[in-house]
Amino acid sequence: MSNPSSATMSQFRHSATVAIADIQLQGALTGATNKFVNGRTTALTELPHADALRDHFKKIRAATLANLPHYLELFEQRATAAGAQVHWAQTGQDAVDIVLNIARQRGVKLVTKSKSMATEEIHLNTALEANGIVPVETDLGEWIIQLAGEPPSHIIGPAIHKTRHQVAELFSKEVGRPLSPDDIDGLTAEARRLLRTQFLAAGLGISGGNLGIAETGTLVLVTNEGNGRLVTSAPPVHIAIIGIEKICPDWDAAATWLALLARSATGQPMSIYTTAITGPRRPDEPDGPEEVHLILLDNGRSQLTGTPYEESLQCIRCGACLNVCPVYKKAGGHAYGSPYSGPIGAVITPLLFGLEEYAALPQASTLCGACKDACPARIDLPRMLLQLRQDEVAAHLLPWRERKAEEFAAYVLGSAGRMNFFTKLGRWGQRPFQHDDGLKLPISVGDGRALPSLAPKPFRQLWAEGELDNT
Amino acid sequence: MNPRDEILARLRQAQRDETLPPPWQSRRDFPELAARFRQALTAVKGEVHQVDSLAAAHDLTNQLLRQIEAEKVVVNDERPLHNLPRLPHITYHQVGQEDAALRDFCASADAGLTSADAALAETGTVILTSGPGKSRLASLLPPVHIALVPTAALTTDLFTWTAGFNRQLPANLNFISGPSKTADIEQTMAVGVHGPKRFIVILYA
Repeated sequence: MSNPSSATMSQFRHSATVAIADIQLQGALTGATNKFVNGRTTALTELPHADALRDHFKKIRAATLANLPHYLELFEQRATAAGAQVHWAQTGQDAVDIVLNIARQRGVKLVTKSKSMATEEIHLNTALEANGIVPVETDLGEWIIQLAGEPPSHIIGPAIHKTRHQVAELFSKEVGRPLSPDDIDGLTAEARRLLRTQFLAAGLGISGGNLGIAETGTLVLVTNEGNGRLVTSAPPVHIAIIGIEKICPDWDAAATWLALLARSATGQPMSIYTTAITGPRRPDEPDGPEEVHLILLDNGRSQLTGTPYEESLQCIRCGACLNVCPVYKKAGGHAYGSPYSGPIGAVITPLLFGLEEYAALPQASTLCGACKDACPARIDLPRMLLQLRQDEVAAHLLPWRERKAEEFAAYVLGSAGRMNFFTKLGRWGQRPFQHDDGLKLPISVGDGRALPSLAPKPFRQLWAEGELDNT
Repeated sequence: MNPRDEILARLRQAQRDETLPPPWQSRRDFPELAARFRQALTAVKGEVHQVDSLAAAHDLTNQLLRQIEAEKVVVNDERPLHNLPRLPHITYHQVGQEDAALRDFCASADAGLTSADAALAETGTVILTSGPGKSRLASLLPPVHIALVPTAALTTDLFTWTAGFNRQLPANLNFISGPSKTADIEQTMAVGVHGPKRFIVILYA
């Protein structure tokens, strides 16, 4: 599968068509998203007042973003006091340069990484490789797609599109002998064995960050496998890259964040490991990194504050909106051409990386609202998708035929008289195209589909004439 | 302007006063914290034992070490582990002594022994901190992690813990809620991918 770093109308249509025809992929997507949805439902049902907690969290996120400069400065100050080095990156390239500089200074050849969407966003692995540094992904899902040479297809389950047969094939190639796809414990054990040596040999560990707690300058990482702990404990240097919006004011707010994150993501009450890092190892400690670098990544985020899109920065990357999205569940993550897929990806991808390059994404939604219902921060994604569609119209990014059709529709629907006139005209004009199963127009409305023809009498006329049986 | 100031300047244009809501109060009320802890941790394949004294916890620890035929064991320098009787056939690494050898030892150890600062009943979570004599790798690299936790360390949930927490953070604090696991291959759960395969908590009165 090709993975363009864009999603124009024709690219998205093409990738989605290919994805829908791929039976293996459809099976994998259905299995994974259903499992996530059921897990989330069970976990939130078990939690008392889960909906009130989500309302509470929404207030926390909104108030934090309103005062983001304050909390960022506090985070910087407290983290620095704890001995961490804080860096600010305006662009992805700035963040990459900071990482490369640290790696060069320390003469690093091997890097272990724990799963990080921010590093996917800035294409860090490509840059490391180009500079002769080997990055090894250590989250099992990330490692699978690294071996396959693919980008992640889901925010929390990067390899959900892969079947165990495909995984066994990749691992077999890696170990040089055939491994059984039916022995998942065996496949996992091979990953443990192979990656263990890398953890201990790496000169640098790179992680993302689920949140940063301003009050104490603490970075929090949430993982299940333990790779996040290894990456941040074993190498002498740890670099974390975290979006500037992932700041949390204090530990009270962090408790709410953590109570919702794992439940919304995987349906776990808590992930296996929640790791809170406050600076490098202290002088009297037996192990841990000598240096901790925290890179605060902007990359377009600060331009969204104060706009109708600020709400998108409330996202905590749990992936719940992907799992319930009818478009994501069929098209899969790769069609979005971005590390951020699904409804949240359809909003933030065009905002961060360009509306023109990703013009298809705001359209890749049925506006059913399931994403808003599933979101732990109750982010109004449908509102922003609609707003982006308006932006696309204003920027003339839609095909001219669609634009003209919509202008015409707006004109007709704008007055009852015009509506009546054009309906009558339509009833007359449709005659040559009427068939038993609907209208067959000379323009395509999708394979094998027909439009319903206009009824002889519209509903409002039937109503007015009392011809409706209202029992 | 440097990148920091430019980012902050942009953000300040949209800055406004919005107060945080008061902290969420826990809505949990478990009749017995230890029972809930056991139920939650067992549900995710952790193992929980309850004994009535520290001496009994020591006995059980050694029984478990014999069961897994441990030959190398790394022990954190924490009070509940100080009087643990040493078994003759086991090589121990005491954290805090010869720490240069700690990492290699942990990488080949059969078990790591720690205590915990606190535990959360709701989620079956144990809270470990780094510090003098307290290794991060001891609870991470060996395939078995045994934690001796006093029942008094139990609190209801994350909210009650946060409310009573003094904000003095160690360099590393871990909430551990089960054995290492993954579901990255077809959402099938596999235990022990990078961290311990067995996570055993001994709660003692």
